[in-house]
Amino acid sequence: MSKRLIFAIITIACCFALTACSTVKAPAEAAITAADQALAGVSKEASQYVPDQLKSVQEALAAAKANLQKGEYQQALTGAQDVAAKAKDLAKAVAAKKDELTKAWQDMSSGLPGMVNAIQSRVAILSKSRSLPAGLDKDKFESAKASLATVTQTWTEASNAFQSGNLMDAVGKAKAVKEKAVEIMNALGMKAPAAAM
Amino acid sequence: MSDDPKQEAPGSNSWDATQWHEVVKGDTLSKIAAKYYGDASLYPQILEANKDILTDPDKIRVGQKLRIP
Repeated sequence: MSKRLIFAIITIACCFALTACSTVKAPAEAAITAADQALAGVSKEASQYVPDQLKSVQEALAAAKANLQKGEYQQALTGAQDVAAKAKDLAKAVAAKKDELTKAWQDMSSGLPGMVNAIQSRVAILSKSRSLPAGLDKDKFESAKASLATVTQTWTEASNAFQSGNLMDAVGKAKAVKEKAVEIMNALGMKAPAAAM
Repeated sequence: MSDDPKQEAPGSNSWDATQWHEVVKGDTLSKIAAKYYGDASLYPQILEANKDILTDPDKIRVGQKLRIP
């Protein structure tokens, strides 16, 4: 083979390599931009409802960007496409979590006010009593009254959180109210509703 | 006297927090008030909570389910 032929083959090979690189670079950049946008669209709610899942996708995007910087366009492209798919999964996970929390809130908000009212009623009557029933001493009763004040306050906070769209906080506080209300009912010799157990 | 045998008694809502007492032989509203409130004189609270089924505090019958507010 002549030197000219070898030179021509090398030149053509280099051209192919360069063309291949530039062919993948642009789609990789576009895919990363698209993945960035897809993630930005869900990250606010995802950070609230599925933070661990969001962190994993953010790490995958960072890896794709690092590959782009290193010139590993094919890996960057594949990584970015994967991130875009995972961003869609994130949106679904957020919707599922919100649905789950909404159902939990609806369930508890249908029952907790009744529990709190029942406790308030019993405390009001016991406050008029000349002596307390068997199993309830003065200290226990005072403690139950103090807990009732906390429960009432926490329920107000839970309702406000729900009104402002903070489902995580609303459900978290409602669960705390439920647990405390069960404790108070037990202390006062009352039976907690089956749904609260 | 018996403790509430069925928490969900009338209504059957699993969140129902109503407290019930099923009347047994020998029960009076005063005795029931003493059991739940520690004070027999508070029986009018029970009478008031059950005014839909009780008209006379001396007339309660065995098996009747009374609300205990």
